[in-house]
Amino acid sequence: MSLLEVSGVKKIYKARRGGTSVQALKNVSFTVEKGEYVAIMGESGSGKTTLLNILAALDKATEGSVILDGMNIGTIREAAMAKFRRDNLGYVFQEFNLLDTFTIEDNIYLPLVLAGKKNEEMRAKLDLLAPKLGISDLLKKYPYEVSGGQKQRAAVARALITDPKIILADEPTGALDSKSSDELLELFSEVNGMGQTILMVTHSTKAASHASRVMFIKDGIIFHQIYKGDSTDTQMYQKISDTLNLLAQGGELK
Amino acid sequence: MRSGLYPKIAADGIRKNGRLYIPYIATSTLMIAVFYIMHMLGFTDILTNFAGSGTAKDMMIFGTYIMAIFGTIFLFYTQSALVKGRLKEFGLYSVLGMNRKDIGKIIFYETVITWAVSMAGGLLAGIGLSKLAELGFAKMIDVKASYDFYLSASSVCATILVYSFIFFLIFLNAYRQVRFADTINLISADKAGEKPPRANWFAGLTGFALLTAGYVIALKIEQPLAALMWFFIAVILVIIGTYLVLISGSVLMCRLLQKNRRFYYKTNHFVSVSSMACRMKRNGASLASICILITMILVMISSTSALYINREQTLSNHYPRQLNAVAMRYGYDSGYKEAGETFEEGINDLVSKYGASITDSVIYYDYTISGYYNDYKLDIDINPMENITTLDYDNVATVMFIGIDKYDELTGEDKSLEDGEAIVSSSGKLPIGTTIAVGDSVFSVKERSDRDFDKLCPDISLVSTIVIVVKDVDGVASGFADRMDVTGNPMICWNWKYCFDTDLNAEGQIELNGIIGHYMNQELPNLAHSTRYCASHEEQRNDFYKTFGGLFFLGILLSVIFLISCVLIIYYKQISEGFEDQSGFGIMQKVGMTRPEIKKSINSQMLMVFFIPIAFACLHLAFVLPIIHKLLMLFGHNNMPLLITCAGVSALICGIFYAVTYKFTSNAYLRIVS
Repeated sequence: MSLLEVSGVKKIYKARRGGTSVQALKNVSFTVEKGEYVAIMGESGSGKTTLLNILAALDKATEGSVILDGMNIGTIREAAMAKFRRDNLGYVFQEFNLLDTFTIEDNIYLPLVLAGKKNEEMRAKLDLLAPKLGISDLLKKYPYEVSGGQKQRAAVARALITDPKIILADEPTGALDSKSSDELLELFSEVNGMGQTILMVTHSTKAASHASRVMFIKDGIIFHQIYKGDSTDTQMYQKISDTLNLLAQGGELK
Repeated sequence: MRSGLYPKIAADGIRKNGRLYIPYIATSTLMIAVFYIMHMLGFTDILTNFAGSGTAKDMMIFGTYIMAIFGTIFLFYTQSALVKGRLKEFGLYSVLGMNRKDIGKIIFYETVITWAVSMAGGLLAGIGLSKLAELGFAKMIDVKASYDFYLSASSVCATILVYSFIFFLIFLNAYRQVRFADTINLISADKAGEKPPRANWFAGLTGFALLTAGYVIALKIEQPLAALMWFFIAVILVIIGTYLVLISGSVLMCRLLQKNRRFYYKTNHFVSVSSMACRMKRNGASLASICILITMILVMISSTSALYINREQTLSNHYPRQLNAVAMRYGYDSGYKEAGETFEEGINDLVSKYGASITDSVIYYDYTISGYYNDYKLDIDINPMENITTLDYDNVATVMFIGIDKYDELTGEDKSLEDGEAIVSSSGKLPIGTTIAVGDSVFSVKERSDRDFDKLCPDISLVSTIVIVVKDVDGVASGFADRMDVTGNPMICWNWKYCFDTDLNAEGQIELNGIIGHYMNQELPNLAHSTRYCASHEEQRNDFYKTFGGLFFLGILLSVIFLISCVLIIYYKQISEGFEDQSGFGIMQKVGMTRPEIKKSINSQMLMVFFIPIAFACLHLAFVLPIIHKLLMLFGHNNMPLLITCAGVSALICGIFYAVTYKFTSNAYLRIVS
């Protein structure tokens, strides 16, 4: 059984007073295996953020089902949703979404504190994680005192610290300079190497080229997907570019 | 066309930010109304002609200053928060090609609009409320227009001047904020993280010291005469102390809480403590403002209600019997004894002629002399004007000489004394040694009496009283016959009192009082420059009700206004913080915080934040009660248990009201963040 099974997901946004409705997702089905590193690519408005929000249980699908590790996300009640998200999902945002009122350390602790974990346990986890992410020296600082790359690493630490079943990343390199982007992608690869499942939404070819599989979404459907297989990042980059070119020209894929 | 642009932008800006501007304008309106009413009460002649009216007026004048200072602090604080929220908008204007001067114009027009609206509203509210108060007085004390609230031009002028100045300062401050910021900083101003303030030990300790000093002064004051001056000092110390302690002390507290990992890393405390720590500096100011407002309310309500409830007893303290005939005269005269006897006979005659009989009576006379008590000696030669700065008011005392025969008669004891011996008692805390000297006369203290002479001799004295019982009171008094004070008047004073109850009803008492009063004034032994009158308990009752009822009403009126300001501050705080916290709670929801958890964390935060001021206010009240008690003695009120009860009840009512406000505003906050 796959870790994540998405089948027949539709999402329709209705205008408030009747009127026109917009179909953001038409019919999306795919699966993600445990330990996979999947990138979803698409242009603005293609529906990729909507998809991610549904996967993260931040939004509900109009039709279809999302099953994570045997549990149907759509059937979880609102009250239990936050707990489910906390225990099973790690989220990395484009805008980092760190709280200004917390130190980096406390930001990372946040999900554990919410889960009511013991102080010693939290510390032990962070001690393990911080050196790997290279943020040991930043822990006592506040978010606005560190760079964007450092913020994003802290956000990754916050996502990882709960040992989530899957990490959902929404344009994680979107707000970073190229050096920080490279470092972050390197980090993702390492984390994935340790067996962490990652699902990333991006429109950066470079970011996607690190993934083991790339799915292309256009006009609300999964249009195409390519596997990295044994290719290098560069080869993968080339493949993705070609596909994107085709997509842009509106050509048909074989 | 172009000249109309800036006012239009300004008006639009206010309208679009109505959620923030309406509470702001409402608060300044109320502040202006309170200022107007206080100024009117303090600086015009509305409060006159009753015991303690001077004190009440002084309090109002003092309150006026407090309102001006307090208003400045508070409006400054809210306005800078308002501007901060709008910096982005100004940044946009500046990107679109406005220079700083143009933005200054917008701010200027905004300030002018808020100024005009709140000034007009505040003055109208002030005038309206004072008219309402007039009607309220009439209803409450059943006497028509005992306090005539007229439109006071001088108060209107003062209000306009003071608050225009405050608004001008506010404008300068806002302009400064915009003038010295880069465009890019303006645009991203609201995103800039704010470093949580460091705990400022110096300010915290200073605040604590000031607070303690204020408290010590409040506890130390012995005598009401001294109290008034020191009271003001204590109040100012406590106000400044409260601000400093709440601003830096609360930061300190949060820091300590954060250090305690076991406490800090709990779902309930984690979010609330950290966000509290971050905004404590600004929070502290508004918390201190709320705290001071609540303290003012508590002080006003508990003191005026105690006065009102205790009015009957206060009346009896002043006028112990139904009818009280009094004669007093400065200087010594050998004819006093005879005069007293003539009075007594004359009054007795009038009573029986009226067809009434005396059921219970006290008659006595004493001599009093005042001076500065130090080292077991009453210095009567000291010039108070020359030594005004070095004198300790607690040591200003009045000595009352009374004869042993009268003492035995009043107390029912059977004591005897030799010449030069004395039985001594002192009210207040003046020490009594083995001898006591008054001027050049020295008495050996045969016995110390702890009898409460205040009850025995119904005189409410504002200073400490020492009662010296001697064998030959006239002989002792004659020794002071030629002592003159600095103005050349005799120092020794003769007081004769004849207080009695009759079998008459209230109307009869009042009529008889008139007859005796007339007799005392007209018919009597040839004592030049003496004061003689007769006072009826019944007749005075009306006056007492009017006075204390009026004060109580005034207390309620001002408290209601303060309470409304308080509610507005709280509401304003909640709303503005709600907008600040919106994104934070959004993130937390994404990270996996459930709605009930958010609610719980908000509650825990508000509970901590909002119960600080009322806790502090109750603490202030507890320390200030002794001083209030002494100030109330100026009104002839001497009932500590009642005062404590009143304070307790007002604290309770205030607490309930506060809790309701808190509940109501926290819902508003919750609606914004989720």
